[in-house]
Amino acid sequence: MSIPAIAVTGLHKSFGANAVLRGIDLKAQDGDVISLIGASGSGKSTFLRCIPMLEVPDSGIVAVGEHVIEPRGGILSRRDKVTARTIRSELGFVFQGFNLWPHRTVLENVIEAPIHVQGRPRAECVEEAEALLDKVGLSDKRDAWPVHLSGGQQQRVAIARALAQHPRALLFDEPTSALDPELVGEVLKVIRSLAEEGRTMLIVTHEMGFAREVSSRTVFLHQGLIEEDGHPDQVFGNPVSDRCRAFVSGHFQRNR
Amino acid sequence: MDTEFLSGIFLKLLTGLPLTLNLTALSLLGGGMLALLLNLMRASRLGNTIAATYVFVFRGTPLLIQIFMIYYGLASFDAVRSSFLWPFLREPYWCGLLALALNDAAYTSEILRGGLRAVPQGAVEAGRVSGMSRIMVMRRIVLPLAMRQALPAYSNEIISMLKATALVSTITLLDVTGLARAEVSATYRAVEIFLCAAVIYLALSLLVTRGAGWLERRLSPYKFGVSA
Amino acid sequence: MDFDWALLGFGPEGWGMVLIRAGGMTLVVSICAFMLGLVLGTLCAWARIAGSRWVQRLAIGYTVVLRGVPDLLVIYLFYFGGRQVVAAVGTALGFEGPFDISGFVAGVLAIGLISGAAQSEVLRGAYYAVPTGTIEAGRVVGMGRLTLFRRVIAPQALTTAIPAMGNQWQSVIKETALISVTGLVETMRQVSIAAGSTQEHFMFYLAGAVIFLIITSLSDIVFRIAERRSLRGHQQGHA
Repeated sequence: MSIPAIAVTGLHKSFGANAVLRGIDLKAQDGDVISLIGASGSGKSTFLRCIPMLEVPDSGIVAVGEHVIEPRGGILSRRDKVTARTIRSELGFVFQGFNLWPHRTVLENVIEAPIHVQGRPRAECVEEAEALLDKVGLSDKRDAWPVHLSGGQQQRVAIARALAQHPRALLFDEPTSALDPELVGEVLKVIRSLAEEGRTMLIVTHEMGFAREVSSRTVFLHQGLIEEDGHPDQVFGNPVSDRCRAFVSGHFQRNR
Repeated sequence: MDTEFLSGIFLKLLTGLPLTLNLTALSLLGGGMLALLLNLMRASRLGNTIAATYVFVFRGTPLLIQIFMIYYGLASFDAVRSSFLWPFLREPYWCGLLALALNDAAYTSEILRGGLRAVPQGAVEAGRVSGMSRIMVMRRIVLPLAMRQALPAYSNEIISMLKATALVSTITLLDVTGLARAEVSATYRAVEIFLCAAVIYLALSLLVTRGAGWLERRLSPYKFGVSA
Repeated sequence: MDFDWALLGFGPEGWGMVLIRAGGMTLVVSICAFMLGLVLGTLCAWARIAGSRWVQRLAIGYTVVLRGVPDLLVIYLFYFGGRQVVAAVGTALGFEGPFDISGFVAGVLAIGLISGAAQSEVLRGAYYAVPTGTIEAGRVVGMGRLTLFRRVIAPQALTTAIPAMGNQWQSVIKETALISVTGLVETMRQVSIAAGSTQEHFMFYLAGAVIFLIITSLSDIVFRIAERRSLRGHQQGHA
């Protein structure tokens, strides 16, 4: 087998006395669409944030392609910091709160990193950004300011911004949790189309129906450990763990 | 009204304008650099204490005392008199400029600090996650956002400094206020002369307000409901 | 150089008592000017919120002018200009000179006027920070305008205004140092006199700075307590 897109081994992370991650192992091959589910506080967002080192793990190994980081005691060495930056530009990260840069227009948000981090020519970046905005259905908002967009539109810009980095994998941290219910659909539609393109994706989500439908694999986290890991039909339809069964059935009842 | 007298006074006072503008610009420049330094110092614990004390002392005492302390006070130290700095510190111009810059730094550092605090954490994370280095995040995201946030308060600080330069007239400098004072002792027509000087300062501060407003609209059009 | 600390003491050679009295004068001038500013500021804020168009313009003109002119110049204008006017009027009425006006009065008027302009901005901002929902809630239970102001608007506006009013008070204290140019013996004037007669410039200006620091930081504590009091029960997390 080739080198996995993302490989995480033995990840531990505590905030003070609170052990949030207690040893997580996960491998994502190119083309995998993995949904991460679990109750709030199960550690799924922290796990996702540990991959680009937004949170520095206390111990464990994070590898993106051939780039490997092994932090010790929650501290990155000088070399790890350089690797972290490489890893970040190899990934696209989509936040729950969009986090667009308010002082840049929609287009400027999308071309910022390709030009200033990856050092690509401006004309090429602009052309590509326009295509990406078209893809997420926002080509008419090219010169708008983020504050003038709805939440759903902002999140679609954020996805275009993540795509502009030519990422090897995309990470979504609860991409629809901050949205009004009527805006969730437009964002899920974009993410679904990316899954159909065969992009490698890790998605932390509370949208169970969506997770079951788009992902090739579903992982259930409980108190900082992976409790269930398998094909979505199995995890949602016939889970081994009782906790997972309770969590899943609770969610589907509520959504009905 | 004696228009001939007034226009004569007005022209006379305008000759002090270069000094007033010079002191305003240079003290803002020096104070701004020191303010940035004070904010960088706040990263460490000791630096934070030093910066906080600096701000406390310079904001807690009148500028006039600071000017006198530097102009009259420092001269009473033999060490100062014999040092290489003496050629500067004996000149009222350099003493005034030094006091103004030190004073401005205390206020500007607080304005900058407020601006830095207002930068949304999410925007910073989005920068880091796109692979930017710490310096690049600072240069392309944190500082531009902090400056936009701090601009209205900073335009007030510019006006404050413009007004504060009038105090150097107490250490014999002939800025607009100093010249007005001299003319009053010569002619005893205090009302007309001081009003003339007031008009000059007023015009300058209105200019600053206008300029800052223009800059704010240019830098952050999204705050004014304009969709580019 | 060595400081002769006895000069700051309370002995026969010491300036201690004189300096304390000067500090007291600074405090008195500051309080008078701040109170005058509060009255002017309230009137001006009221004019801008509820006045007719011309009253509003007048109030705006007042704040713009006093925000744009150096404090020192305003004091000069009141003191020297005041003297000129008094002399002109006095001579016209047939009185014999020389004429003089009080540095205290001129200083308090000047600084009160300056502070009034700044305080009006603070008060106006505080008024607009009151959530309109709470005003509407007062209206629907049948409150009259006065009751509404007294029971709903004023308490909330005061809470937001206190920190900024604290800053205005601090500015007033520091601005009073400028009144020394009129010869009024407050802290700044007194330390200049002492510095001149003893030739201990640095020590006395340092002493003056310390007196100001004591006054400003004590008032800071007072305003902080007031802020905490006023926040009681108003905002979550500040209880």
